[in-house]
Amino acid sequence: MLPADCSRRLVAELQGALDACAERQLQLEQSLRVSRRLLRTWEPAGTLAPEARLEPETKEEDHSPACTPGPQDLKELELLTQALKKAVLARKVTSKAGERAKAPSLKSGSFATSPGMTASTPSWAPGQAGSCASEAKPTRGIRQTTVPAKGHPERRLPSAGNRARVGVGARATRPGPGLRDQHVALSAAPEAPESFTLKEKGSLLQLPTAFRKAASQNSRLWAQLTSAQPRDSTNATAAAKTYFLQQMQTASGRPGPVLSAAEVEAEVGRLQEACSLLRLHMKEELSAAPTDWTQEYRCLLTLEGLQAIAGQCLHRLQELHAEQPVAPCPVGRPSRAPPPCGGGAGPFWSPQLLLYSSTQELQTLAALRLRVAMLDQQVHLEKVLLEQEVGRLLLNGRTAG
Amino acid sequence: MGRRRRLVDPAAEAGAGALPKVIAALSRSLPAGPSPEIFRRAKFDRPEAPALWQLLFRLLSPRSADGASASLALEAQVCLVKSALRSQGYPRLVLAQLPEDGSRGSRELLLALSWLLARGPLPEQLLAQAHVQLGDEIPVCECEALASPGPRVPHVEAEGPVDIRCVQWLMGRLRFRWRCLIASQQEQCTLLSKIHLYTRGCHSDQRLGHLSVAETEMLRDPEGGQQGCGGGVGQSLDLAYPKSLHSGQVPEASGMMCGWCACGWVSAHPPGSLLEMQPSLCTSCALGCFAFQLLRRLERENTGLEAALEWRRGELVFWRWMDTVLGACPPEAPAAATQPTFLPRIAERGLGRLELAARELRALQEELCEATGRRRAAWEARVGGQGRGPQWSSARQALQKAVEQELAALRWAWEQDRGPARPHGPHRLVRCEDEAPGGQHLRAAEVIQALRSQEACLEAALRRLQGQCRQELARLAGALPGLIWILPPRC
Repeated sequence: MLPADCSRRLVAELQGALDACAERQLQLEQSLRVSRRLLRTWEPAGTLAPEARLEPETKEEDHSPACTPGPQDLKELELLTQALKKAVLARKVTSKAGERAKAPSLKSGSFATSPGMTASTPSWAPGQAGSCASEAKPTRGIRQTTVPAKGHPERRLPSAGNRARVGVGARATRPGPGLRDQHVALSAAPEAPESFTLKEKGSLLQLPTAFRKAASQNSRLWAQLTSAQPRDSTNATAAAKTYFLQQMQTASGRPGPVLSAAEVEAEVGRLQEACSLLRLHMKEELSAAPTDWTQEYRCLLTLEGLQAIAGQCLHRLQELHAEQPVAPCPVGRPSRAPPPCGGGAGPFWSPQLLLYSSTQELQTLAALRLRVAMLDQQVHLEKVLLEQEVGRLLLNGRTAG
Repeated sequence: MGRRRRLVDPAAEAGAGALPKVIAALSRSLPAGPSPEIFRRAKFDRPEAPALWQLLFRLLSPRSADGASASLALEAQVCLVKSALRSQGYPRLVLAQLPEDGSRGSRELLLALSWLLARGPLPEQLLAQAHVQLGDEIPVCECEALASPGPRVPHVEAEGPVDIRCVQWLMGRLRFRWRCLIASQQEQCTLLSKIHLYTRGCHSDQRLGHLSVAETEMLRDPEGGQQGCGGGVGQSLDLAYPKSLHSGQVPEASGMMCGWCACGWVSAHPPGSLLEMQPSLCTSCALGCFAFQLLRRLERENTGLEAALEWRRGELVFWRWMDTVLGACPPEAPAAATQPTFLPRIAERGLGRLELAARELRALQEELCEATGRRRAAWEARVGGQGRGPQWSSARQALQKAVEQELAALRWAWEQDRGPARPHGPHRLVRCEDEAPGGQHLRAAEVIQALRSQEACLEAALRRLQGQCRQELARLAGALPGLIWILPPRC
């Protein structure tokens, strides 16, 4: 059995680590879904609205050719034809709009201009949509897609409130896969494969103009900002800032900059790192087999130098310890001091690139990153265990002694 | 702009107009920046404190807590700001004495803000944090992961001792999860690589050459992003704390029919407007469109960046003015004894860490002492017999110098916080096959090398700690007689 308070913290840390892992997994899976979808055939998301699907059946039944339409039927037929005509017109507008939305996927330039409806080979063939309206035959196709647009707004109202459903309903008016199939069957011109895959046509994609402009301005501004960083310490602005900070310090009446808790922790961290680096060097020196006297002497000098540095670090730690009767810890801080990676007064981060040359390399990189993170976590857990034990020992020592 | 620095002489500027402009630029470059008027009034300690408290809170609160903390009451914000400033070493005590309700102290807050601004490039850091990530990002260091809130405060119900098998089980689960994570990520790498390959040649930016997943997804589904994948197309490779492209806002459901224009609700959007991106949608649909939101965020960031540039150009005026603000303050009373709150448990932890480090160093020192003693004895024995000619002494001096330099470099390694040149932060992945060396971009091979050495270091550290742990347990067992420790088999 582990002592109670020691194990409490350990279990809490383990739980935290498990949760963090689970969270990462979740996000990774989300990314995977998106990536897989991108590599499949691109289709308009969502299927035809269920309402739309139902309609064709009933309509077809209605319009299975009756032999002699009575006057009632004729009237109905006329109404229907008119409605269909209206729907076709609306359909044309819709498909134009739909094309424009799809246009950026083809090399046709900006959104604003109406792209050539006669889109060339890239076979989303929005031009087909235009031709569909003129084709009398694929009534079923039209019905499929235009019924929702036929002016049955009440059918759509319930879904208007929910954007997702509207989206789905809206999709129904776009040239859906079903419609395209019709085209394939009916249109004379041999059609290029109607689906879009990244593999075949990925290089034809183009980002919309507005977006491109904003993105390029963004990188330009970041470059400007990074180069505008004052590195020259004789700079007037830097001098003004230093002066201001000094004035702030003296105006406060305090003798000198007292090390804040954060700084102390950072320094302790640095000294710990110093320890590991020194140890690493020591191992290197001890394991190297000197071949001649110069190397031997050098090794000796290095070891002595390392010893001196270790002594200095220890001295610094003792100073820190003496300065701190207690170690006040502000509320809510994580127990690990994050290494100030470029934070604080250092240069700030700006968008940068990482170039890789092959899948293998990328995989190695990613795997190593995770491995390092995992090791880091393990080291942290061991330290937690150790800290608790050492602290308890010290307290025990005090109470007992 | 290059490295030219225009020395801004306030007199040469357009007189009094320069200061408000610079302050306005500063405001625009900060999130939730107050108007220049508030700054001016703060100099005279007018009641503008709440706005400044909120600004400081926004600047000092950890990024990840943004959503939850936005709704904190003013008192809570005041408290957090005070403690954050204290932990950063803010020198003035007046701040700590300001009332908790946040009603007074605007001048002091102005000073605190300037203090933060003087210490580091605050606007740029904030802009970097909020940067819209368009690419497939991978962090090259762990500082983001560490900066996130650590394990939740344990409301652990485990009263009494915990069975060590429970701990072992948890550790096993953790190992399993890591393995799953690695496997999923390998797959993601393959997919990412393919997508980059297939979109070769599309990007207008020559440096990049291909699209990222986010950009491709935007083309596939411009108004999507809210549907299907549950609110995000954030495409960082290791999604530890990514910045999703989806800003997390759900567009309000519009009451009117905003479908695809079959309802005729679309009007022609003015050319050059942001809505141009989705001319086929009526206004409300366009506004909710994912691509549009992305564009809007980009443009907002650009505004912030421009403001930051303007601020940098003119900030000298501000600092001269801040000197006058400081002068307008009454001199501080001599410091009363500070009363740090004594929290035994935390003290234990803090002490533990210091003590741990001291112990490690002492152990190291002992080892070094022993090793050098041996070597020195061996050396003296070997060389003592030989003469000390001039050749010998010059060679010795050269060696000494060389060793000194090496050791100085070693010191620099940790004193400089691992060196400012070390890359950090998220980088955008770009597939680039040509082997052209140099260039200003980071290469995967370099990162891999750095990671390998880090891995070796960590493995060594882990082994050592495990050994130390075992020693400590043994010591504890010794200190508490009557207790029998059964150490678990090394897992």
